[in-house]
Amino acid sequence: MTTEVFSTEFWTAFAPESILVVGLLLIFIIPNLGNSKFRIPLTKVHVPWFLGGRRFKLTGSPAIPGMLATATLFTALGMMIIETIDGNMDTTTVTSGGIVILQIDNFSRYFEILFLSAALLASMASLDRIPAHTFQGKKSLEEMYDNRRQADFYILMLTTAVGMCMVALAQDLFVLFVGLELASLATYVLVGFHKESKAGAESGVKYFIVGSVASGVGLYGLSLLYLEFGSLQLTTLAANWADASILGTIALGLVLVGFGFKVSAAPFHFAAPDAYAGANSPVAGVLATASKAMGMIGLIRVLLVIALPEANSEGSAVWLYALAILSVVTMTWGNIAALGSKNPKRMLAYSSVAHAGYMMAALTAVGAWRWGEIEAPGDYAEAIVAAVLFHLFVLVAFKLGAFLVLGLLEMEGGASRLSALAGLARRDPLIGTAMFIFMLALAGVPPLAGFMSKFLVIAGIVSASIGELWMNGTVSFSDIHWIWWLALAMFLNSAISVFYYLRIGVVMFLDVPEEGRRKPLPYGASIRMAIWVCLVATVILGLSGDTLIDMCYRAAESLNLS
Amino acid sequence: MLVGGLLIIVAGLMAFFPSMSESDSAVDWISIPLVGFPIIVSCILLAFASQETRERKELLAVPIRLFTLAASLIPLAISTALFFDWLIMVDWDLMYNEYALEKEYVWIETIGVSWHVGMDGLSFPMVWLTTFLIPVTIITTWNEKDGATYHPLLLMMGGALIGVFVALDLFLFYVFWELTLIPMFFLILKWGGKDRRYAAQKFFIYTFCASVIMLLGLITLYFLQPEGNGSQYGTLTGRTFDMTVLFANATAYNVGDNVFLGEDMQNILFAMLMIGFLVKLPAVPFHTWLPDAHVQAPTGGSMLLAGVMLKMGAYGMLRIPIAIFPDAVIYYQDVIMAIGLISLVWGAVVCLGQTNLKRMVAYSSVSHMGVILLGIASMQPIGYAAALFMMFAHGIISPMLFAVCGAFKHHYHSMEIGSMRGMAKWSPYLSVYMMFAWMASLGLPLLAGFVAELMVLIAYWPEYGWWILLPGFVLAITAAYYLWSMQRTIFEGGDEGQPPESLNGETPPDITLPENIGMIILAIFTVIFGIFPFIALGMMDQWTVAFFEGVFNSGGI
Repeated sequence: MTTEVFSTEFWTAFAPESILVVGLLLIFIIPNLGNSKFRIPLTKVHVPWFLGGRRFKLTGSPAIPGMLATATLFTALGMMIIETIDGNMDTTTVTSGGIVILQIDNFSRYFEILFLSAALLASMASLDRIPAHTFQGKKSLEEMYDNRRQADFYILMLTTAVGMCMVALAQDLFVLFVGLELASLATYVLVGFHKESKAGAESGVKYFIVGSVASGVGLYGLSLLYLEFGSLQLTTLAANWADASILGTIALGLVLVGFGFKVSAAPFHFAAPDAYAGANSPVAGVLATASKAMGMIGLIRVLLVIALPEANSEGSAVWLYALAILSVVTMTWGNIAALGSKNPKRMLAYSSVAHAGYMMAALTAVGAWRWGEIEAPGDYAEAIVAAVLFHLFVLVAFKLGAFLVLGLLEMEGGASRLSALAGLARRDPLIGTAMFIFMLALAGVPPLAGFMSKFLVIAGIVSASIGELWMNGTVSFSDIHWIWWLALAMFLNSAISVFYYLRIGVVMFLDVPEEGRRKPLPYGASIRMAIWVCLVATVILGLSGDTLIDMCYRAAESLNLS
Repeated sequence: MLVGGLLIIVAGLMAFFPSMSESDSAVDWISIPLVGFPIIVSCILLAFASQETRERKELLAVPIRLFTLAASLIPLAISTALFFDWLIMVDWDLMYNEYALEKEYVWIETIGVSWHVGMDGLSFPMVWLTTFLIPVTIITTWNEKDGATYHPLLLMMGGALIGVFVALDLFLFYVFWELTLIPMFFLILKWGGKDRRYAAQKFFIYTFCASVIMLLGLITLYFLQPEGNGSQYGTLTGRTFDMTVLFANATAYNVGDNVFLGEDMQNILFAMLMIGFLVKLPAVPFHTWLPDAHVQAPTGGSMLLAGVMLKMGAYGMLRIPIAIFPDAVIYYQDVIMAIGLISLVWGAVVCLGQTNLKRMVAYSSVSHMGVILLGIASMQPIGYAAALFMMFAHGIISPMLFAVCGAFKHHYHSMEIGSMRGMAKWSPYLSVYMMFAWMASLGLPLLAGFVAELMVLIAYWPEYGWWILLPGFVLAITAAYYLWSMQRTIFEGGDEGQPPESLNGETPPDITLPENIGMIILAIFTVIFGIFPFIALGMMDQWTVAFFEGVFNSGGI
C-alpha cells in the first residue's frame, strides 16, 4: 500500500509511532499544568490557560514523567507486537512528491520492536535508578536534582526511541540520517546526564565530539553519494550501483565510518567504553543494544541493499575485504581489551565491540557470496541477515540485563569497579544467578539465547562458505570459500571472551563483599522486574527461539536481497 | 523409608502404564525420567537452598540432602530395571544405527534440530554408570559442608551427563556437553581447595575452547551434507542435525567410489571433532587442565569428573567422528596410537614423581585414558570392546580412588604422600579401601580394571606387534607408583607410626559411616565386574560387532 504523508492511511499505519510522539508531548505538557491565566491584551479578561503558574499538586508530581514514558513505550510496543507476531503484516510505503520516505514492513517493525523493548526496559529500570522523591518533607540537594530532571530524562529517552524508529523506517538515506542524528543527539545528552559527576561530564563530551565527527564524515559520504547518483533513495542507489564510479566506493567508505561509530566497530570504538562507563547503566544498556542495532540497520541498508553485486553475477562485493579485516580486528580488539579491563561497564563495552565484530563477520559472508554458482542465493543471504537480526534482539535480553544488574548496584553506590560485584551471589542469590546467566549467555554457553544467536551467525557464515558444493560431488577443503576462516576467528574469539565473563561469575560467587556493601541490595521493584523479564527472555529464547527466528526471517525477506 | 517410597513410585508407574510389557514402549523412559527429572529437581532444590540466612540454610540442609538422594535413586532404579527388563522388554540386540527406547520430538524446526534420544550398547553402560555413581557420590560425600547446594549440583551434573549419553542429535549433544561444565564449575569454585579460582576457570576455559572447535566442525559437517526432505530436515536450511540420519548417509556415501567428502575434508573435520574429545578425555598434549581441576575439586566433583566426565570424550569419539569418517580413522590410526601411547607413558612417568596423592591419581587417569585410545587405534572389534569396558571399569574404580583421596584429605588435612607413615594403625578401614582401590587401578586380576587392560593388549598385538612391550612396561610402572605410595602411607613407621604434622598431635580418625558405605558399594561392584565382566561386556561386544559391520563393512580390518 502506498500512501501520502499525513493522509488517513498514514495515521492508521503509524499509530504506534504517533503514540510515542503524543507521549513525548504529554511529558512536556503535564508537569507544567498549573493555574496560570492569560490576560487578553488591552482587556481585563483572564482566560484560564493552565500552562505555567503554580503547578497542580497531582500533575506536578515528579513521578509522572517516568510513568508516562513507560506507559507510552509499553502501549506502542504492544501495538507493534500484536501487528507483527502473526506474520500477516501489510507493507505500507509513504511517499511525498514521488519520493519514498518511509516504509513499514517486517524489517522496520522488527527493529522498532527491538528499540522500544530496549527503551521500555531502560525506562522501567530508570524509575528506580533515577528515583522521583515524592515523599513530603525536606529534601536533600541530590534528591531535588533528581526530581527536577525527571522530565528531561524521559523526554530524551522517548526522543531516542522516536529517532531510532525513524532510522528503521527510512527508505531514503537522508531521512535515515535525520533519524540517526535525532537519536544520537538525545543519547549524547543522556550519556552526560549525571553532569555533577566527573565521569559523567567527561563521557558526555567525549561521546559528543567523537560522535559528531563520525556523523560529519558520514554526512560528507552521503553528499558524495548524491553527487554520484543524483538521489539518495535506496531503490535508486541499489539499481544504479553496478554503474558506480570510484567516487561511489569512496562515498561508501565514508558513510561506513558514520555507521561504524554507531555499532562501535574497531577503529571508531574508542569513545564507547568511556561513554558506557560514564553514563548510568540503563542508558549504557540502551547504547549497547538499541544504538548498536540502529548502526546495524545503516550497515545493512548501505552494504546489503545498495552495494551488493546484482544477483547471478560473478564476483563479490567491493567492500568484502575491508569488512572482513574490520570484523576480525573489531572482535579481537574488543575481546583482548575486555580481558584487561577492571571496570565491569568498560568490560561490557568492549564485549559489545566484540559482538559488533561478530555481526560484521556475518555481513561479510553475504558480500562474499559467489552469486553465479548458486540457485537461490537470496535464501542464503536471508539466513545470514536473519541470524544478525536474531543476535541483535537477544542482545537486548542479556546485555541490557547485565547493565540493569549493574544499575541495581549503582543505586547503592558506584558499579565502576569489579569489586562492586563481589559477593553478589551471597547478598542476593537470585540477582547473582541472573547476572551469571547473562554472562554465560554473552559467552555463548548453551542452551541460552546467546548460544543460539552465535550459533545462527556462525552457521550463516559456514553456510555461505560452503553453499551448494554438495551438488558437485566430492568436496575437498580447498573448495570452501575463505570466509570459513571468519567462523574460526569468531569461535576462537568467543573462547577468549569466556575468560572475562567467567571472572565476573567468580567474583560474584567467591569474593567477600567490600566494605559498605554488606547489607542486602536496595529493593527497586521495577528494575528487578526488568531484570526478570531479561532473564526469562534469555532462557526462553535459547530453548525455543522458533517464533523469533520466524520473525527474523520475515524481516530479512522483506529486504528483497535476491 | 526411601526404599519404600521408591517401590511405591515404581509400582505406581507400572500400574499407570499398562503397555509396559511391549517392546515398543509408548512411554518415554529417557527424556523425563533419566534426563529431565534430575535437572528439574535439582533446579527446584537449588532455588529452595538459596536462602539468605545461615540458620534457614542449616535447617534445610538435611531434608534437601535426603530428598536429593531419593531423587537420585529414581534414575538408578529405572536404568537398572531397563537392563533387567523389569519394566518393559527392551531389545538390546541392535543393528548398527538402531537404538532402543528411541524418542524424537521436534525442537527447533527451522534448522532441523530435534529432541532425539535413544540408547544402544555404547551409551547404555555409560548411562547406567552415571545413574549409579550419582547416589554413591552423594552418600560418600554426605557430610560435605553446605550440602543444601552441593548435593543438588551433583544431581544436576548427573542429569546433564546422562543427556550427553542419550542424545541422538548433534545440537542436543552439544547443549548437554556444555551444560555439564556449569555444575562442575560451581563444584570446583565453591568447594574446592586453595587454588580453586584458578582451577575452576582453567577447567571451564580449556574445555570450552576445545568444544567450540568441535562445534565449528559440526556446523561445517552440517552444511556439507546433502539437502534432503523429511521431518528431521530443517524447514529453512534443508539440513539436519539428526545423528541417525547422518550415520545412515555416511554409511551410504562411504561405500565404494561413491565418496562424498574429499579425503582432506574428511581428515580436517575428523581432526576438528577429535580436538574437542581429546581435550575432554584428556590425552597428553591437552591434559594439563585435569590435574589442576582434580586437585582443587571437592571429593564428589572429582568422583564424577573422573568417573563419567572424562568418558564423555571417549564416548563422543566413538559416537560421532569415528562413525562418520571411518576412512579418516584409518588415516590417523598411527597418530591416535601415538597419542594413546604418549598419554599412557607420560601419565605413568609423571605419577612416579608426584608427592600429592590426588595429583598422582589424576595423572593415573590420564594414563588409563591412553589405554582407551590404544583400544580405538587397534582397529579390532576386541579393541573397541576393550575401550568400552575400560570406560566402564575406570568409571567404577576411579571414583573409589578419589573417594579414598577425599577421605584422606578430610581426616588427615593433607594430601602429601610422605607426610605420614603407618596409616593402617589408626585407620584400618581407609587403609583397606586404599589398598583395594590401588590394586584395582593397577589391574589386579579378578578386578574390573584387569579385564579391560588384557583385552586392549590382545587387540594391540596383531596391529603393532612387539610395540606391545611398551604398554606392558608402563603397566609395570603403574604397579610401581601405586605400590610405592601405598607402602609409604599405609605401612612403615614402626609400631608407633608417624601421624601427619597437619593434625597437630591429635590421633588420626578413621573414615565415617557414609564414606564407608559409599566405598564398599564401589568395591563390591569392582569385584562383580571383575569376576563377571560379561554382564556389561555382552552388550558392548554386541555393539562393537554391529559397529564394525555398519561402519567398516567388515568384522575387522
